[in-house]
Order: sequence, then C-alpha cells, then structure tokens
Amino acid sequence: MVQASSLSLKEVLRVARLPIAIAVVLVLFGLVEPRVLSFGNLRNISLQASYLAIFAMAQTMVLLTRGFDLSLGYTVSLVSVAASMAMVAMGGGDASILYGVGAAVLIAGGIGLANGLLIAGIGINPLVTTLGMANMVLALASTISGGFPVTGLPKSLTAVFAERSLLAIPMPIWIAALVFVLLFLTLKATRFGRSLYIVGANPKAAVAAGIRTVPVLVLAYTLCALLAALGALLLTARTGSGEPNLGGNLTLEAIAAAVVGGVRLSGGEGGVGAAVLGALFVTVLSNGMNLVQIDGYLQQICLGVIIIVSLIVNRDEARR
Amino acid sequence: MLEVTGFTKRFRGVAALDNVDFSLEEGEVHALLGENGAGKSTLINLIAGTFPWAEGVYRVNGRTITSLTPQVAQEIGIAAVFQEFSLVPDLTVVENIFLGREQSSGLFLKRKQMRQAAAELLDGLGFHLPLDEKVAFLSRAQKQMVEIAKALRIRPKVLILDEPTASLTDGEAEKLFNAVALLKARGVGIIYVSHRMSEIRNLSDRVTVLRGGKKIGTVVTSEISDEGLIEMMVGRPVEQLFPKIEHKPGAVRLEVRNLTTEKHSVIDASFTARAGEVVGLAGLVGCGRSELCRAVFGLEAIEAGAVMLGDKAVERPTPSSMLAANVCYFPADRGSEGLALARPARENATMSSLDLPALSSGPVLKFWRENETIREPLTNLALRPMAPERKASAFSGGNQQKLMLARGLMKSFDVYLFDEPTVGIDVGAKADVYNLIKSLVEAGASVVVSTSELPELINLASRVYVMHEGKVVAELARQELSEAQVLSHYFGGHA
Amino acid sequence: MSAETATMAPTVANAPAHRAGRLDRFLMQGGIVITFLVVAVVATALIEPRFLNRLNLLNVMRNFALLLIPSLAQMLVMTAGGFDLSVGAVVAVTSVVTAAVMLVGAGYFPGMELFVILAALVVALGVGALVGLVNAGLVSTFSLSPFMVTLAMMSVLMGVALYFTQGIPIYGVTDSFIANVGRGQFLGLPIVLWAALAVLAACIVMQRFTALGRHIYAVGSDQRSARLSGVATGRTLVAAYMLAGLLAALTGFLMTSRLGSGQSTIGGTLALETIAAAVIGGVSLRGGVGRAELVALAALFLSVIANAMNLVQVDSKYQTLVLGAVLIVALAIERLLLRKRQA
Repeated sequence: MVQASSLSLKEVLRVARLPIAIAVVLVLFGLVEPRVLSFGNLRNISLQASYLAIFAMAQTMVLLTRGFDLSLGYTVSLVSVAASMAMVAMGGGDASILYGVGAAVLIAGGIGLANGLLIAGIGINPLVTTLGMANMVLALASTISGGFPVTGLPKSLTAVFAERSLLAIPMPIWIAALVFVLLFLTLKATRFGRSLYIVGANPKAAVAAGIRTVPVLVLAYTLCALLAALGALLLTARTGSGEPNLGGNLTLEAIAAAVVGGVRLSGGEGGVGAAVLGALFVTVLSNGMNLVQIDGYLQQICLGVIIIVSLIVNRDEARR
Repeated sequence: MLEVTGFTKRFRGVAALDNVDFSLEEGEVHALLGENGAGKSTLINLIAGTFPWAEGVYRVNGRTITSLTPQVAQEIGIAAVFQEFSLVPDLTVVENIFLGREQSSGLFLKRKQMRQAAAELLDGLGFHLPLDEKVAFLSRAQKQMVEIAKALRIRPKVLILDEPTASLTDGEAEKLFNAVALLKARGVGIIYVSHRMSEIRNLSDRVTVLRGGKKIGTVVTSEISDEGLIEMMVGRPVEQLFPKIEHKPGAVRLEVRNLTTEKHSVIDASFTARAGEVVGLAGLVGCGRSELCRAVFGLEAIEAGAVMLGDKAVERPTPSSMLAANVCYFPADRGSEGLALARPARENATMSSLDLPALSSGPVLKFWRENETIREPLTNLALRPMAPERKASAFSGGNQQKLMLARGLMKSFDVYLFDEPTVGIDVGAKADVYNLIKSLVEAGASVVVSTSELPELINLASRVYVMHEGKVVAELARQELSEAQVLSHYFGGHA
Repeated sequence: MSAETATMAPTVANAPAHRAGRLDRFLMQGGIVITFLVVAVVATALIEPRFLNRLNLLNVMRNFALLLIPSLAQMLVMTAGGFDLSVGAVVAVTSVVTAAVMLVGAGYFPGMELFVILAALVVALGVGALVGLVNAGLVSTFSLSPFMVTLAMMSVLMGVALYFTQGIPIYGVTDSFIANVGRGQFLGLPIVLWAALAVLAACIVMQRFTALGRHIYAVGSDQRSARLSGVATGRTLVAAYMLAGLLAALTGFLMTSRLGSGQSTIGGTLALETIAAAVIGGVSLRGGVGRAELVALAALFLSVIANAMNLVQVDSKYQTLVLGAVLIVALAIERLLLRKRQA
C-alpha cells in the first residue's frame, strides 16, 4: 500500500509535468521581462494558444491512428484563400460568410477524404501521401490567389469571430474549448473514438476484432482536415484577409504541440487534452521569446530542439 | 565443455528461470524438454547471449564468462537456431548465410567465394535451396534450412537447435538428423529443444526436463521411458491437466466446403463442426490449418469454396459479419494480432463487442457501463491481477491470453475458432483455457481448435482433421486418436 | 532449378510460398520507372521539339545532376529503414556555408582560389557529415522515429541558415568556382553531371560490392535479424545517415556554384522531390529495398517532366502540384499492382 501511494505521487508528477513546465517557463520569462506575466499578455497567450490548440487537436486525431497529416498547414492556407475568395465573390456581405464556410467545408472535406481514401483504401504510406497532398494543396493555394492576400472580407467576420468576447473571454477561446469538449467526448464516449485508439494501437488486432478500419481512418483524416479548416477560418477572421502563406509553419507547430503534449507517434496513446497542453506550452515559449526579443529564426531552432527533447522524454516513460 | 550453474532470469520480477544447472559434453546431443513457458527458450537465449546476462555462473572449456552478446557467443563458438528466424527478408540466401560475417578483400566483397562456400555448406547438409532467391520468397521449411546453414557458417563448437523440425516434412527432417549425426561425430555439442518424443529418443544422449522455470532433472535418455519423461514434464498425470469433456454432437454449426484461399495456403479443404463438440485441426506449422481458420473468419481471401453457418452460406466472410453471425476467432499471435497492447485491459476485453446493446446505442459508447459488463467474464477467467485499467502489455502471457478470450464471453457465440490457444502460457493458465473450452462446449457451442500440441487434440477433441500442405488428408474419430496415429498423417504419407 | 524442385517435393506449402513472379520481377527491376521515363521522354519530344535542342538537354542534365545527388542521399537513408526530411535544409545550410567560407577566405588568402574552394568544400562536407551523425545518433540511441528527428532537424537547420543570413543571399562567391564548376563542362557535358555520375557509380558499387552496402539493406529490412546476425546496426545507421549528409552537402556546394551565391531559401521542395525520386525508383518505404541506378532513372524522369512543363510554360507553382500528384499516383499504381499479393 505504501508503494501504491508513492506510485500515485509519481503519477501525479507525470501527469502534471507539462503544466509545471508551462508555469516554470512563464516565471522564467517573467523574471527577465515582467510584461510576460501581465494580465493582458496572459489573455493574449490563451488567445494565441487557442488557434494552435485546434490544429494540434486536428493532428492528434490522425496521430492516434499511427498516421500523420503533413498537408494540414497548407490546407489552412488553401481554405483561407478559397473561403475568402468565395466570400468576396458573393458580395462580401454578412450572408457571404456562409458561402465562405461552405467553401471551407467542401475543400477541407475533399482533402481529408482524399488523404483517408489513399491511405486506408489503397494503403499508401501516410507520410508520403500527405507530403504529396501538401504540395498539391500549396500549389493550389498560391495559384488561385496569385500569391497575394485576398481582401474585402465582411467586417462582421472579424468582429464576431476574432474580436467579440463572451463573458470577457474571446470568441476563439470559446470555440477551441467547444472543439476540445466535443473531441474529448468523441474519443471517450463513441464507438468511433474507441475504434480510433484500437486501430492506432494495433491495426491487425482491430481487424481481427471486427472493427472496420477503413471508415475509421477515412473519418479521422476527414475530421483532421475539417478542424484545420475551422482553424483557418478563425485565423482568416483575425487577419481580416485570405492569406496564401497562413499555414506555412503550422504543420510543424501542430505536430510539435501534440508530441510535446505526449501524443505517441506509435499510435493509440494520448488525447486531445495532451494536444491542448502541448499547444499552450509551445505558445508560452514563443510568446516569451517574442517579448524578450529573440529572433524569429532562433525560435524555429528552439522548436526543433523542443520536439527532439520531448520525444526523448516521452520515450523514457514508455520504457517503464 | 559447456557448464552453467545457478542460472536465474527474471522478467518484471517473475522468475522465468530459477536456479537451473545445465552442462554439455563434446559430441553430445543434450535434449531440453518442457512445455511452453517451462523456461527452455529463456535458457537457450541466455546461453546464446540473446538475453542480457542474469544471475549464475557460465563456463565454457573451463573459462568463466562474465558477459555475453550474440557476437561474443559466436566468437567462442556458440551458434543458435531459434524458432523465430534471424533472416533478413530482402537479402538472398547466400547474403543471409554470410550476413554479419562477410568475407572481403579490402573494401570489396568476395562474392564468388561466398557463393561457393554457401553452396558447399548447404550441399554438406543435403539441403537444396535456390542460392540467389530472396529469403522473403522461401517457404518456412526452406527458411529453416537457411537458418541452420547460417548457424554452421562459424563452425560452432556448441549448436543450439530450437524445435528445428516444427515445420519440416519427413524427408527434410531426415536430412537434418543426418546433419546432426555428422556434427556430433565432429565433436560438436548440440542442445536440442523439441517436444516430439521420437526425436528425443532417437537423437539425444541426455535429456534435461524443465517445468515452471525450474530444473526437474537430467537423465540419460536410454534409461527412462516415454511415460517417465512426460510425467517429469507435466508434473502431474495428464488426466489432471485436461478436463473430461462431454461431447454431445448436435446440429452442424459450421461447414466448410472445398475451400481454397487466394494464396493457395489452403486447397480444397472441407470440414464440419457440430454443436457440442470440439473439432481439432492438426498438422505441421505452415500446413494451412491456421489459414483455414482465418479464411473462415474472413481474414484470408477465399478463391473458391463455401463457408456455411447452419444451412446458410456466407457470401464473403468478414470479421465483423462473422462476429455478428456468432462466430468468434482467437488468433494465434496475441501480440501481433490479438491485443492492442498499449490500451487498457478493459478496452481489449470489449474491442470486438462494441456493437452489443450492453456497450453502445447507436454511435454512443456506454463507457460508464463497460466495467460492469466485463466484470463477469474476467472473473470467470480468473484474470490476475484483476486490474481492468492496467495496460494489456503489463500482464503475463497467460493473462493476456485471458484478456483475449474474454471477448468470447461477452455474448454467447455459436462457433469458437481457437488458433494455438496455449502458446507461451504456463500450465495453470493452460488448465484454465481447457476448462473454458469445456464449459463452452457443454453449453452447446461448437469449438474448433487448431494446435501443434498433440496432447491437446488427443484429450480435448471429439474428431480431428489432419492437414498437410494445404489439404485435409485425414479425419480421425475419437477412438482412433493417438499420438502415433495423428503423426502418421502429418507428412501426407501412410507411414 | 528443375533438379532442385524435384528433390524438394514440389508441393504448395513447401514450395516457395510465392516465388518471385513476373510481377515482382517487373517491379523489382524498375518496370514502373522505366515505363514512366520512356513515356515522358517520347511525349515531351513529340509535343515540344525544342526539348531535343542541345542547350535544353544540357540544362536538363544540370538539373538532373543536382536532383540525383540528394536523391541518392535520400535512398541511402530510406534503404536503411529511415527517412530524411532534412536533406533540403542541409543543402540550404551548406550553400550558405560554402559562400561564407569563400567570402571570408578570399579576404585572408587573396589569389589562392583553388585553396579557398577546397576549404569551402571541406567545411560544407563537414557540416553535412555532422548533421548525419546527429540524425543517426538520435535515431539509433533513443530509437526515435527517423521522420520526426529529421523533421525537427529541418526546423533547426532552416532556423540556423535564415538566422545567419536573414534570408539575404551571400554574394562574393569565388568567380572561378562559378565558371569552372557551376558552368564548367568536360567532354561536352556539365561538370555537375560528371560529379553526379561519379556519386552514382560509387553508390552502385557500395550497394553491390561492399559489406556496408549489404548491411544497410539488412538493417533496413529487419533490424532485429541484422543485429542477431552480428551486424553492427548502430554503426551502419550512422554510416548511412552520414553518407546522406555528405551527399546533401555536396549538393549545396554544387548548387552554390550554379547559382553564384549562397542561399538560405533553396532546398524548400527538395525533401519532397528526393522522396519522390526514391519512391518512384522503387525504394521501399519500409526499408531494405532500393537500387541507385533506378533512383537515377526516376530523378531523370522528374527532371524531364519539370523541363517539359517549363517548355510549355506551365506556372512553376503547378509543377509542385504535378510533382505531388506523380508521387501519389506512382505509389498508388504500385500498391494496386501488389494488392493481390498482400496479406
């Protein structure tokens, strides 16, 4: 029994490792630059993290199946541009937002479906499929926009989905929270969620247990792309224009957030909570580095190092 | 020549090998006998250096060895042929035989010399293999031959053979026995693991019997009877291990007619299984009995033939449709096909039953009722420890097997297909599995058991189909079941 | 063969489970890539006769050379069971390094151009080897996913290259370097092509005639079996990744001579292009299979279609789209052909 209680303390430390790390990083940056800990900045961090959290949760849906989505970032770019063009084409009024959303759903749904069918239906390696898809999507994003931002979006888009607050909490945070709750419930309380874990942990065993793996995988990739589209619309609302370069680094950041949070690349372990915490950690770090004026390129180096360190740390845990 | 004393090895605190002594003389064939999980493979893995060093003293030719890796073991002349091959599928036969010990002059490989040497090595053993074929394209028996030739490339002083005949036909096994005699004459000491009595009797000088990780004794082969060996191995009269099953054959539940798989691993096979009886599928490893079960369950593509449940033909079996039609299959390889090891025990127990009303309604999973639902099956199976939230990987082999079997108890199925139900589990867990089979059959289910363990067939089955090279070659009724009877059909002949 | 089968009891279970059939042979010997290449060359020549123009062919050759070398790097890592997403970033970093060494070196050692060029080459190769060592170290010591390690490495290297240059090209590359290497010719063919062919020959020899080549295949095909057979798996991985790093560095060096400046922004799509060349050339994503000569044919195929699209004035952005599509289609064809055989 003594052993059991000491184990559970260890367990607490293990679970709380990331929140503790986030707090430590905040305090360290706060010592150098007190503005880091100001209310305004903390609110800002939460706001920024909510976007990344959506992308990290999207990526998590496929990481759980032992998959990957390298096309996530450029899907964001394409959705941003295409949805903006749809809105502008429909007159740029409030009602045109619906057309933008429709375009986003169609495009992202198509990309996700294609990824899923190629990977699960035909059986092509997910890395290569989504890498190829990434480049096709990138090409589309930059050609249909001609490489320039798409302007003339409805004002209400930004006003409602980026700037409005509810109970003093900005809209994007509410939306990210809603996504979190829905995905959490999906993973915990639906057959699809359970199947996702089983397929990821052992695809052959899933087949032998009568789980139909193809629809599960196709749905996972489609869900991932649709969530990326949601994030893309929110980011578009924030910038107020359709940006062909919006998603450049997002693939890496989303994977980094998920991996830092403890989602395992070997599939079947982790959850959306891990993705959200990982996103928060990555955001806190980059926000702190911005405020103490560390060069953006150095931050890119840090991101790479963090991925490797967290891979090593999480791996040790698996051995035990 | 080789002597180990006090060998002990623990896995997660459980002793897989407990204070075992073992010795081997020059030119001696020393057989290791024991059931699955008795510690045979742990012992030979330690001797060959594939498992990290444990407690105990290890001497070779009077020299005490303090640490051992496979490389060091090879240098001091210990070679091993394990059941799990160490062949690289994408390299050819010649390349595999010399892998890790390539002969080069300067930077470049002596390809001709190596090919020549490999050909001589194989000729000397009487094995005929396509030298330049990739190993991926060889049959299991051919791979076994490559593996043996590979072990001999270093001219070993000690050779370990782990069930080398498990997938060989009569003629091939004969060649192996000749090779063993040749090596023995050259003074090579051979550790021979097998559970076929006839081989042990014909080949070995001494036998060491292990049970539950402990050494039961070492005897001179000619001084003990088969019955004596079996009793040493099982530790109790056979009747106590196997429950008495009341077979009451009723209606035909499963009928397979002239089934051929796309890969031709099963050819024109037919069998029937009735309610209230255990049907055995016997044959060598690779004879097609596993594939037959898999094809029935929809895991192997079918080219021709029919699978009938009752009097309804199943068009294209898939695992989900077969589960829905009350057919349950337990794969042979728990780790690779049975369990999601990274997930909790609870999820492993329910993973094939998520569509049951007890566990879901529509897409919603009733996770709050899950623990309640699995309690009874897991208690019946005596899962130890009873910890549904623990990862499946943290359970012992026998208890992992129970997690898998729990799926069959989530509802009552009409047909149960067991593929190698007792591989790698201890005697206690085996008895539990046999009792489970008994209770299923006596409740009126139809049970099909595919196994390489003859005693299981002889003691459990009411009828046995023997398969050879993909075909069903014999059907034996209960009164005809004896080890010699069944074995005589293993090689397709009428020996 | 017939004598063997006679003694072997030619029956189903004991005859080879599936002896390499005609389809396997076709795939193994590069049936897909040869078909692709022939179709691409013939179609391009028919649609756009300028393709066969000597200057255009020289241009194709140069591009081919600069794609072939990093593709061979990718092949080495992939046959060892890995993945190298950092190959483009190594090219960028070594391009910057090459130019920087020349810029600085020219100040210290005026007039000693050959020495400065060689110094730049040595430093660039050193950087490449170091990156390979770190990649392999992380992959083998901690058994991390090669994909993630090299993805993170890519982020680090791009950060380094951009941080030191702030995205601005480094000029001041030694003139004779541009004239003799980047634009140089020997026997009527570009120097860079000769360099690439030399690397190709070395790779073929290494794969077929050395123990290292065999060990790389073995580690990629089945690491456990390789280790049990006495192959030093860690050292083999280090060798594969370091060779890949060296080849990527050589690419960065040669690209600098071609462009006339050190650029931190080159190599962006190289990871995709090299993986495409390797995969179309029959390199298995699971490791253990892949031959340099077929990868070369695939690289040539990709260079030809890129050139064809330039000739018919397809927007360069659509070229990425085509590249992505070709990659997926090639893999889909292979999968569908192998369908029947898979479990």
